[in-house]
Amino acid sequence: MTNPTVVLDHISKSFGEFTAVNDLSLAVSAGRIFGLLGPNGAGKTTTIRMIVNITAPDSGRIELFGQQITPALQDRIGYLPEERGLYKKMKVGDQLRFFAELKSVPGKEADKRVDRWLERLKLTEWKAKKATELSKGMQQKIQFITAVIHEPDLVILDEPFSGLDPVNVDLLKQIILELKSAGKTIIFSTHQMEVAEKICDDICLLNRSRKVLEGSIREVKRGFSRNAVALRLVGGESVLANRDLISHVQRHSDSLEILLAEGTDAQTLLKELLAEGTTIERFEMIEPSLHDIFVEKVTEKA
Amino acid sequence: MNKLIAIIKREYLQKVRTKFFVIMTILGPVMLVVVTVVPGLLLSIKTGGDTRLAVLDQTEGSKLYHPIRDALTTAKANEEGNDRAAIADAANSNSKDRLEKAGKAAVGSFRVEQVSANGRPLEEIKRELNARIGREDLDGYLVIPSDILNNSDSKSSYYGRNVGDVFTRGQIEKRLNSAVRRQRLISQGVKDADVEALSKSVDLATYPVNEKGEEGAEDSGAGFVMVFIIAFLIYMTILLYGQVVLGAIIEEKETRIAEILFSSVRPLQIMLGKLIGVSLMAVTQLGIWALAFAALVLFAVPALAARGFTGINLPRLPPFFAVYFFAFFLLGYFIYASLYVLIGSMVTTAQEGGQMAMPVIFLLMAGLYLAFAVIRAPNSSLAFWVSIVPFFAPITMMVRIVSQTPPFWQIILSLGIGFLTVVLFLWIASRIYRIGMLMYGKKASIPEVIRWARQA
Repeated sequence: MTNPTVVLDHISKSFGEFTAVNDLSLAVSAGRIFGLLGPNGAGKTTTIRMIVNITAPDSGRIELFGQQITPALQDRIGYLPEERGLYKKMKVGDQLRFFAELKSVPGKEADKRVDRWLERLKLTEWKAKKATELSKGMQQKIQFITAVIHEPDLVILDEPFSGLDPVNVDLLKQIILELKSAGKTIIFSTHQMEVAEKICDDICLLNRSRKVLEGSIREVKRGFSRNAVALRLVGGESVLANRDLISHVQRHSDSLEILLAEGTDAQTLLKELLAEGTTIERFEMIEPSLHDIFVEKVTEKA
Repeated sequence: MNKLIAIIKREYLQKVRTKFFVIMTILGPVMLVVVTVVPGLLLSIKTGGDTRLAVLDQTEGSKLYHPIRDALTTAKANEEGNDRAAIADAANSNSKDRLEKAGKAAVGSFRVEQVSANGRPLEEIKRELNARIGREDLDGYLVIPSDILNNSDSKSSYYGRNVGDVFTRGQIEKRLNSAVRRQRLISQGVKDADVEALSKSVDLATYPVNEKGEEGAEDSGAGFVMVFIIAFLIYMTILLYGQVVLGAIIEEKETRIAEILFSSVRPLQIMLGKLIGVSLMAVTQLGIWALAFAALVLFAVPALAARGFTGINLPRLPPFFAVYFFAFFLLGYFIYASLYVLIGSMVTTAQEGGQMAMPVIFLLMAGLYLAFAVIRAPNSSLAFWVSIVPFFAPITMMVRIVSQTPPFWQIILSLGIGFLTVVLFLWIASRIYRIGMLMYGKKASIPEVIRWARQA
């Protein structure tokens, strides 16, 4: 972890009685994609708002690019909020130019970049149209442009793919990966674990205003290599019910995923199943998915 | 600073390009005229034909019938009294005269017939006449008591279908008055020829004197009308542009643009940018109106005068009028706009905003009503206090400046207090704006808002 782009040092934020973020510390490494994960209401948006300097923490310290946070640093951040909007009656090109100007991009340069980005996202013909004439997906792409048009060093995307069709999801993913290879740091907030699993380098899992898990995807998964086995069986129900052997069973349409209880291993399970005379159609050691880790972590606290 | 300018520019250019702005710029003066002049004009126009009147003269020998008939049917009627229809005062003196004439032409046509008693009792005659009114053969009738010429307490009566038509009634009363008075004088032995001269009304010319003791040119009442127009103009524009501010704030909250804005610019700058942008829009509009008015004065009036339309007397305005006008307009605008910002950041939809804005509108209206009291006595202590209170000052102080310019220190005091109020209000509004704009889904309560304002 060299030169973290963002450092949160024991920050807390509450609204009246409600604590949104509780003593959160984390570091986002430069040039990596950082997943800020958690169920709805975990405190993700509040955390992001503090990073982009919309609200200030009640206590704790925030450092951006190695400096104490200041309004001037806002120009180096690009932010796509989850609650997003455009001026309904304003032309797309004018809006983008306006948002670029708010990030201190000079007018002429802004014009060039607007054209370049519209072309990149295949929206050039919509430049002179008003926002209300655009479909939801198109509006979302326009909003994505507002987050990157000023070439920020830190890009924060809150649920960027929700509501996009697969073609556009791939287009945005590709752009995000390009930003990463250009050395930008990306914070990616979502509760869709499948997406996070595919593009994040590091993750931090929040639940009920607290951090419950942190690290690179690989570390996290290694920490959770808890002997998960995928099975397709005919019979063997008594073995599955044996709590000394199996701690958790998840049934899918035509297969099972089980977690081995502590102190046993897959070989023992296999022997037991064979001893029962069960027909085994599938028996596979699997890595836990981020989804499983998420569900387990979030439910165990409850 | 560049960001502030970007926000001002966007707000201004977007708003000035709207149809709303173009339409308001054209329709504003029309509306002003409509509101001030047209109601009077409409009331004075009588539709339908002549008013058919019957006169039952109970005096001995029916001495009064002919004078009354003449008074009612001759166009000259009487020039007596200043009791011109009160409503005409709302127009300026030229149009007031025009209105009078138009009014006379419209109300003044009576068809009069005599009813002879022929010894029948009054009740019977009245029943017959009432029946005719019922059949719409007749619009009304007058009953003149027999003792009218020698008993000054005696009462004449008018019976008619439409007694709500105060203009016709007023005309009848006035003309009856003059006929009876004339007849009374004649019966006292005054010569017919002298009656005219004796009953001629007094012409009162009015001259303003300023605080330095200098006499001004004759004032025909045009200044008075001007005061109303100024008061109403300020009221209308503050109301209008306050609503524009409210709409702009709610738009950014509803569309969630606030979040992107707040991640780029300080909330205070955004708020100020919007307020300044909309104020420039207002100033643009007022400027267009002022230029149009100046063009009218410089070109249209001399052109008309050259063609013989003289006597168009324009109201005189105090020196620096335009400076005061814009200063007090901007003062009022920023005070009310900061209240609208406050409301905009508390509510979630435009409808809620409209409801919440009602008290603010009442406050502004109170200023307009107080202006009426101030016009009557522009230098009273009431006028002084009212024109110092920032909520009312924009309207009431302008009324004082136009009608009877107060000492300079009072104007400065009013502006100074107003300016401090604006600073205070903007400060409070910005604190609430900052938090309220990111609160979605529910309307904020007053205690919540107070807590926001206190938060660091």
